[in-house]
Amino acid sequence: MISVKNISKQFGSCEALKNISFEIPSGEIVGFLGQNGAGKTTLMRILTAYLPASSGQAFICGEDVSLNPLVVRRKIGYLPENPPLYPTMTVKSYLRFAAQLKDVGIKYQKAQVEHVLEECNLLDVKDQVIGTLSKGYKQRVGIAQAIIHEPEVIILDEPTNGLDPVQILHVRKLISRLESKRTVIISTHILSEIEQMAQRVLILKKGEIAADSEIKKIIIGDERKQLFVQVRGEESAIEKAVKETNSLKQINIECLGEDVFEVHLENTNNASHYNELVQNFFKYQIKVVEMKEKKGSLEEAFLKINK
Amino acid sequence: MKKVLFIAQKELCSYFRSPIAYVVLIATITIFNIFFFTIIDYNQESTLRDVFKVMEFLFVFMVPILTMKVFSEEKQMGTMEFLMTTPTKNIEIVLGKYFGAVVFFSFIMLLTLPYYFIIEFFSRPDRMAILTGYIGIWLEGAFFISIGIMVSSWTKSQIVAAILSYLFLFFLYFSSLLDKYTSGLVQVIVTYLNVMTHSENFIVGILSSSDMIYFFSGILFCLMITRISIDTKIWDNV
Repeated sequence: MISVKNISKQFGSCEALKNISFEIPSGEIVGFLGQNGAGKTTLMRILTAYLPASSGQAFICGEDVSLNPLVVRRKIGYLPENPPLYPTMTVKSYLRFAAQLKDVGIKYQKAQVEHVLEECNLLDVKDQVIGTLSKGYKQRVGIAQAIIHEPEVIILDEPTNGLDPVQILHVRKLISRLESKRTVIISTHILSEIEQMAQRVLILKKGEIAADSEIKKIIIGDERKQLFVQVRGEESAIEKAVKETNSLKQINIECLGEDVFEVHLENTNNASHYNELVQNFFKYQIKVVEMKEKKGSLEEAFLKINK
Repeated sequence: MKKVLFIAQKELCSYFRSPIAYVVLIATITIFNIFFFTIIDYNQESTLRDVFKVMEFLFVFMVPILTMKVFSEEKQMGTMEFLMTTPTKNIEIVLGKYFGAVVFFSFIMLLTLPYYFIIEFFSRPDRMAILTGYIGIWLEGAFFISIGIMVSSWTKSQIVAAILSYLFLFFLYFSSLLDKYTSGLVQVIVTYLNVMTHSENFIVGILSSSDMIYFFSGILFCLMITRISIDTKIWDNV
């Protein structure tokens, strides 16, 4: 569906993208992550044929972006970082204008406008002037213009930027409704959002791909899950009990207070190993207060990559 | 071509949604009316010759106010990115915006038509001279608009766009004053570029191909530069 081959982009002496290559199959939701200035927006602009690449090729649905920009734009719905809205137009007239420019047949324009108004929950503000809308509504109008021509690929640049939690939830629900039909690329700074919406992430660092993998693999590959066991007893007995549990590798023992310790172990996700540990604690008369596993997060993986 | 119409229609509507357009419209027509009655009363002639001259002088001040926002505002609001990521050719965007402004300008011109009917009612004016006069000042306005739009495509700032447009239009309008200080080829060029050299003929009833070529080539040149400016985005952050 999307194929990027050795794309580079220079702005004067600054190299914004360095030899980037990746492929995104049809129907996948991919998150673009990276610090400010990592090249996310430049990459999105190249994919939408807004900016030409200095070298390399990008293909959307088999069409070369630089050779057939108009064909590519027909297949793409794009929401830039700041929703591109005309503040003096009403929501309906703006979407009508977007439909006209995006080659929606004259016969279908009205129906298509009604459809996206409904899909983006904008029916109650359809006759309102855009300048008077809240940020959340404006964002949804931006998404509505991006999908009005039923594109096969949707590219959203920080769709939840600056929204309050309720508005974020609305936009997230809307995006998750889109994903069943189309290939979606989302860039955002809110990593928990990507974890919930995307299956795969592409982390950019200084114009290069620092990681390109499924989210699960990135998290697990970065940091194995850890088991935290809070126990009450003598420290020497605790150490013995842990040592005898050969199946679990001890990382650290931390004293939390009088006779209260927290044991960090490498998690194996194997119930028999946990049983063995608990039995050993029981053998040395150590009370288990709490047992919890800590999952590695995308945020930790992201911060580690961007160190 | 359909998209040119869609963009022109949107552009025209945006003029009527903005208070600036109404201010320009009312101020221009009021000033035109005052000058029309003063000139007719003073000259006691059934001709619009001097009225046309006042009109073209006022265009120098009016057009930059109309055109300063055409591209600058789009760049400022980020909607240029919207237009340029739709399957629309850059030339269609340029032409749509140009025609939108020209139609608004033509609307102002239409409001001056009663001047003709008034002098027609009271006397027998030279109809051909009035017709060519209207063609001349319309072409002049259309040329000025193309300059304003070209300048607007160079900057995000509407104020900068307006000031630069004033510079260009002042040069074209008042360059005859430089005649004394120039000679040879420079003088020929300055005289040729002077817009009044060409509009004068239309106003007195002469339709000449060289004047037509001046206006049409000027419009074409400015629209071409606008398209190049949009294509290359070299002035995007100015």
